[in-house]
Amino acid sequence: MSSGVRTSRLHGHRPDIWSLVIFAGFAIVAIFLIYPLFDVFRYSFLDKVTKTLSLSNWKTFFSKAYYLRAFWHSILIALLTTFFSMVLGIPLAFFTTRYRIRGTNLLNTLSVLALLSPTFIGAYSWITMLGRNGFLRLFFQSIGINLPPIYGAFGIVLADSLQYYPFISLMTAGALMTIDRSLEEASENLGARSMKTFFSVTLPMILPSVTGGALIVFMMSLSNFGTPMIIGGNYLVLPTLAYNLYTSEISQTPGMASTVSIVLMLCASVVIVLQQWLSSRRKYASMLVNRPVVKRLKGIKSLLAHLLCYFIVFFSTLPLAVIVYYSFRKTSGPVFKPGFSLDSYRQIFFDVPKTVMNSFLYSLIAVLLIASVGTLLGFVIARKRNAAVRVLDPLLMIPYMVPGTVLGIGFIVAFNRPPIILSGTATIIVLTYFIRRLPYSVRSAASILKQIDPALEEAGINLGSPPGRTFRTITLPLMQGGIISGAIMSWVTSMNELSASILLYVGKTMTMPIKIYLSVADGYFGTASAMSTILLVVTGLSMFIVNKYFNRGSDTFIAA
Amino acid sequence: MASIQIVDMEKHFGEVQALSGVNLEIEKGEFFTLLGPSGCGKTTLLRTIAGFYHQDKGDIYIDGELINNVPAYQRNTGMVFQNYAVFPHMTVFDNVAYGLRVRKLSKEEISRKVSAALKSVHLEGYERRTPDKLSGGQQQRVGLARAMVIQPRVLLFDEPLSNLDAKLRIEMREEIRAVQKSLGITSIYVTHDQEEALVISDRIAVMQQGVIQQIGKPWEIYRNPQNTFVAYFVGKINMLTMRLDEGAEQGLRRATLGNLSFLVPSEGTEGMHEVIAAFRPEDLIEAAKEGSQNEITGILKTVSFMGSLARFELNVEGQEITIDRHRPREADMPQKGAAVSFAVPTQSMLLFDPKTGRRIGKGGRR
Repeated sequence: MSSGVRTSRLHGHRPDIWSLVIFAGFAIVAIFLIYPLFDVFRYSFLDKVTKTLSLSNWKTFFSKAYYLRAFWHSILIALLTTFFSMVLGIPLAFFTTRYRIRGTNLLNTLSVLALLSPTFIGAYSWITMLGRNGFLRLFFQSIGINLPPIYGAFGIVLADSLQYYPFISLMTAGALMTIDRSLEEASENLGARSMKTFFSVTLPMILPSVTGGALIVFMMSLSNFGTPMIIGGNYLVLPTLAYNLYTSEISQTPGMASTVSIVLMLCASVVIVLQQWLSSRRKYASMLVNRPVVKRLKGIKSLLAHLLCYFIVFFSTLPLAVIVYYSFRKTSGPVFKPGFSLDSYRQIFFDVPKTVMNSFLYSLIAVLLIASVGTLLGFVIARKRNAAVRVLDPLLMIPYMVPGTVLGIGFIVAFNRPPIILSGTATIIVLTYFIRRLPYSVRSAASILKQIDPALEEAGINLGSPPGRTFRTITLPLMQGGIISGAIMSWVTSMNELSASILLYVGKTMTMPIKIYLSVADGYFGTASAMSTILLVVTGLSMFIVNKYFNRGSDTFIAA
Repeated sequence: MASIQIVDMEKHFGEVQALSGVNLEIEKGEFFTLLGPSGCGKTTLLRTIAGFYHQDKGDIYIDGELINNVPAYQRNTGMVFQNYAVFPHMTVFDNVAYGLRVRKLSKEEISRKVSAALKSVHLEGYERRTPDKLSGGQQQRVGLARAMVIQPRVLLFDEPLSNLDAKLRIEMREEIRAVQKSLGITSIYVTHDQEEALVISDRIAVMQQGVIQQIGKPWEIYRNPQNTFVAYFVGKINMLTMRLDEGAEQGLRRATLGNLSFLVPSEGTEGMHEVIAAFRPEDLIEAAKEGSQNEITGILKTVSFMGSLARFELNVEGQEITIDRHRPREADMPQKGAAVSFAVPTQSMLLFDPKTGRRIGKGGRR
């Protein structure tokens, strides 16, 4: 039994290390989130010419088709991407969980790899395949099919859907695997046919997970910068519009870039709020007494199911394979020549070793920061729910709803003038990685802690171990696996970060994603491919390590 | 000098008063139980002694030392947790050695003490096992060994057996009792299981709504409850509200309930017109054919055969009472719906004030 609420656990009311952590949490939020975001907000209400408070930027936004069009483009792209992700994801989830499909693990691994690979790589790969002289386009032309031009909405939706559908398939598969079989049996026992059972029992049960996944896809697609930047051409969406505006307003106040950023952030916030509301509203607890049975299909049915699953995953990993292939092709400057060589790799290590170094170094420093700060803040949130922490908790989640482009613009306007000047430094890049990733790390640490019985810490204290020693000898070892696998995921996302850092880099702080983008823009596909391959290998290896050594399934990757 | 002393303790969580006016003295080596329903404050009191909560008011003394401001990790109490709280990332040996390592004992001493502790809870040879390879009962033995090996000033048990199955629970409570007695460590034991409390304790404090209702030896708590709550909570009891006639004779007073008439002890009933008469199911005797004093006749509602006893539920003048018959014989079992008669010996009756629920008079059969 527990008597009432368990408050003020362990340490009573004395100020201790945890008060310091809470204070640090507030400081981080104030300096690196509120301050830059408020600056963006302020600039959107500042007249460009008179530098006084005005609605002129907002009037411009709502009166010029140029701006409004980007808004509708963003919504349309996000909607279409969500739709196609569901079309790909739900059947894949259903077949791989309910029927015996050979190599399901391989399919899962490949689709997660597609999900985690940098978005701009997929986009750029589709250009090589479906661009003006792309081999796939030529192939389709030879059989009489003329595809729409890859630059624009078609390309963005294609690349985005094939990148993000695993969110849907993994979340749906998770739900399908935890439905209590007795429910479906009950329906059949009451006389419903299997189709009727699927639509009246199974589908409603998995719907919360499907919609949860769909909202994530919508959100990711909405704030994605890399894909529309590379493949969008003149088809502007909010993130690319904000970026373009920022670069064109470089000599003046970034009024329009700020206004577009605020609009983008508002859209993202609506989605996040919707998602939170939805996930709190409907969840079916499963007792998992009866796991669903995996049925065996025979003959043609089995063949068709296999074909469908492999086809979906094959198409999502095809861009990655193409990139790896091109990275080993012979090149001469920007031109590919017949035959294979390591030219592109040699070029990277001779020409831009610093770029590669930067990527590894910045990500490493960021990850150390993310893991340590995230763990401490996660501990505070899970274990010390006082008034201050209750305020801090939602504040720490702000980065969820700040697209990278918006954070980048915020950082650059806020930190290029006193009191804090960071523009052009490596610090500002590391800080973006840190801030963007912090909420995931805090959440994951807190959820790991929620699975650790507080009585274990109390036992340590009771046996005479002071709070610090108890944290070190009991709590930390129990959290270790979760922290390290979370850190590895943070490392992957930091290595692949483009949308904020592209606004903040200078020559000496260039990173691989930025270099890939620039190489693609300049037509140096060989270098871009080789560098992309390096990022893919890093991503794949990290996934492998998390899977192998921390025994965590695909869920980690979508939660991460 | 008392081993543990609690003086005027108060504790509230938000609006909820978890402890109010708690005073306790526990003797050295005593096995003391806090018994009550969930939410009564027993766990709060235990956790306050351990230092996990801080009281709003009042003092805690251990061996005469005021420990109000001593942090939990310096109180030297050994706690056994409800859900074992065995460290999952350590072996059995490391679990038991944890407190000794904090105390910086030598390697040899740690190894000697851990072995002795594991022996006393019958876990020799389990040193290298990890907790996930242990049953619930074994995990709780590790918890017990870990708590007692540090030779705490007091052992604190927070419902340690509630997660075990019934048979194991009975086995373990004997063991806990035996180990505690052989070590002579003062112990405070929290439970909501009244049978467990009666079996294991030297003394029991019955709690309700943050207030200690009664402190006493198991016999006293069962046979001499000081209010209706204690009477109800510990064991099963029948309560009949009766009208008192005027006038007493030879220490007895007549009371009526419908057509039934009783003689109840008059002590303390002066000026009262109504009284609750309470008696345990096993205290009723069969009525004589020619009629008995304090005879109760009622309609049999249910008959439950429970092996060693048979339990009858009777409807008496609109009130339900329970009667237990030990060593029942099939031939003697009355049928449901039959009118049956029993008698309550006057000396088995406990009287309570219907307004306050407090006991009237002294005594009660030991």
